[in-house]
Amino acid sequence: MEERKKIIIDTDPGIDDAMAIFVALQSPEVEVIGLTTIYGNVYTALATRNALHLLEIAGRTDIPVAEGSHVTITKGTKLRIADFVHGTDGLGNQNFPPPEGAQIEQSAVEFLTEQVNLHPGKVTVVALGPLTNIALAIESDPDFVKNVQQIILLGGAFSVNGNVNPAAEANIFGDPDAADIVFTSGADILAIGINVTHQVVLTDADRDKLAESSGKFAQYMCKILDVYFGYHHDAYSTKGVYLHDPTTILAAVDPSLITYVEGSVRVQTVGITRGLTLFYNKQKRFEEVTEWSDKPTVKVAVTVNGPAVVKLVMERLMNS
Amino acid sequence: MASDGVVLSGNCCSTKRGKLIIDTDPGIDDSMAILMAFQSPELDIVGLTTVFGNVNTEDATHNALLLCEIAGRSDVPVAEGSFEPLKRGKPRIADFVHGSDGLGNIFLDPPKSGKCDKSAPEFLVDKVSEFPGEVSILALGPLTNIALAIKRDSSFASKIKRLVILGGAFFALGNVNPAAEANIYGDPEAADVVFTSGANIDVIGINITTQVKLTDMHLEELRKSSGRHAQLLCDMCKFYRDWHVKSDGVYGIFLHDPVSFVALVRPDLFTFKKGVVRVETQGICVGHTIMDQGLKNWNTSNPWTEFSPVSVAWTINIEGVLNCVNEILMKP
Repeated sequence: MEERKKIIIDTDPGIDDAMAIFVALQSPEVEVIGLTTIYGNVYTALATRNALHLLEIAGRTDIPVAEGSHVTITKGTKLRIADFVHGTDGLGNQNFPPPEGAQIEQSAVEFLTEQVNLHPGKVTVVALGPLTNIALAIESDPDFVKNVQQIILLGGAFSVNGNVNPAAEANIFGDPDAADIVFTSGADILAIGINVTHQVVLTDADRDKLAESSGKFAQYMCKILDVYFGYHHDAYSTKGVYLHDPTTILAAVDPSLITYVEGSVRVQTVGITRGLTLFYNKQKRFEEVTEWSDKPTVKVAVTVNGPAVVKLVMERLMNS
Repeated sequence: MASDGVVLSGNCCSTKRGKLIIDTDPGIDDSMAILMAFQSPELDIVGLTTVFGNVNTEDATHNALLLCEIAGRSDVPVAEGSFEPLKRGKPRIADFVHGSDGLGNIFLDPPKSGKCDKSAPEFLVDKVSEFPGEVSILALGPLTNIALAIKRDSSFASKIKRLVILGGAFFALGNVNPAAEANIYGDPEAADVVFTSGANIDVIGINITTQVKLTDMHLEELRKSSGRHAQLLCDMCKFYRDWHVKSDGVYGIFLHDPVSFVALVRPDLFTFKKGVVRVETQGICVGHTIMDQGLKNWNTSNPWTEFSPVSVAWTINIEGVLNCVNEILMKP
């Protein structure tokens, strides 16, 4: 058997983060070597608590949790927390008891740079929240970009409206400056935007199937999914939920589930379109030098096998 | 959906000629659109107003006067517009696309007539007030004059019959840089004023206009035709065509302005989607147009909420538009 791909999940759990973490733990193709936490769906402290809680549910307290930044890379503290999407506790208002374990002493940035340098070319970082920790790792360690195998990130809205406002997707909006650092860093980057994740819908019927299953993770997810379904119903008038984070995890597990194009991506950091991700495929020539010229190329997902992703997520949650 | 055309719906003529002001920076494809308008008897061209863009404003005025003379319509007033964008400073001029004279370096004799006494914003406000609800405006350049007219008269926007704008790149790459289309980039502040003014706006982005090409073959046919201005336009188009080969690998030309003109007279050849449009005025994406497609119910207010939607051209009947352009250009 091939060596399992080592992944670190940078996460802000979050209902779909929880689902993604469970799917990763159930995927023999990857080895989760750590979780790092970030604000986004919840504040960073709660993200850490939830990450520890989810690992305890999974019986995987052997996996370290490193706490990440509490503020944006520009030290911004006015963070947008999505309690209306995930509940005030981030996990569907279930008020689970506090975890017994604790985070490691290393910060997320220290953990990320240490692990990536320890296994050069062997660690993939899957970033499910705002990109502050990743940008800080890039800035603090010149070897990080070179040594990281790939950064697979959930973020951006490419040629579609955002989900925070018409211009911006939530993760990029959370720290646009950090996102621009990551996109222009030169690392091997695969970005999964909401233009792709909106093609992956878990329906009411799927949820009923999960509820009938005796799978441990399926049962757990059914408990916390109510708030997430309610939000999608109100915001998008849909009878189903988008699987943003699980899709991103599965892009690491099975790259054949998506297709991508290559080009440079810049992030708008000011103005009314702050958080906008703009992709340039380097095909059209421009008369003048642009802010996209001479920037490293990244991969941006364009299609996804939605039904296959949903099927795989369901299977892995039910067979647990 | 867009409202009816100026006068035409399908090919049937109406009794009352539709009043039209063209705000323009001629410009090779502007010249095509202007001469097409003059070849359309169902239109009453109230005047031309000029702006910087393809050329500077002074040359735009010069060329607009020339085009009126060429069309045998020196009676049509040309009102000169702003020399610079709202935020001041030297405008960006696309002489590398249209030549130093704006007309493909064919260097015609200067016009005999002069511009009108009024400034473009003054002229726009006066004409629209004189005929409220009757005057349509075709805006082919940066939107400075329209924004100044809106600022000058708070009732201006609501009195325009229809404002058809060539500008923006909706969910598509720009042509100045990946983020911005040239007309909007030319004056982003003005564009944002116009899009949020509440006027009855149809906007045609380059995501639509670049679907229509006049190929080398089409141009050859045009030259052989008995079209009233065919020879002149073909002479002008050489420079423009060569730039397209270099810039886009297109053996032919894009018809940005003529397509927008067709959207004015034949909206039935397009479909439109309604949504609020805002323009970024800062940062690396300055000039970027973002339309709220209305796919999500926002749970908090954002810079798009509370503004009136405009009609954004969504699809185009390529064959129909090309036929319409050819038909008018080949009219003796």
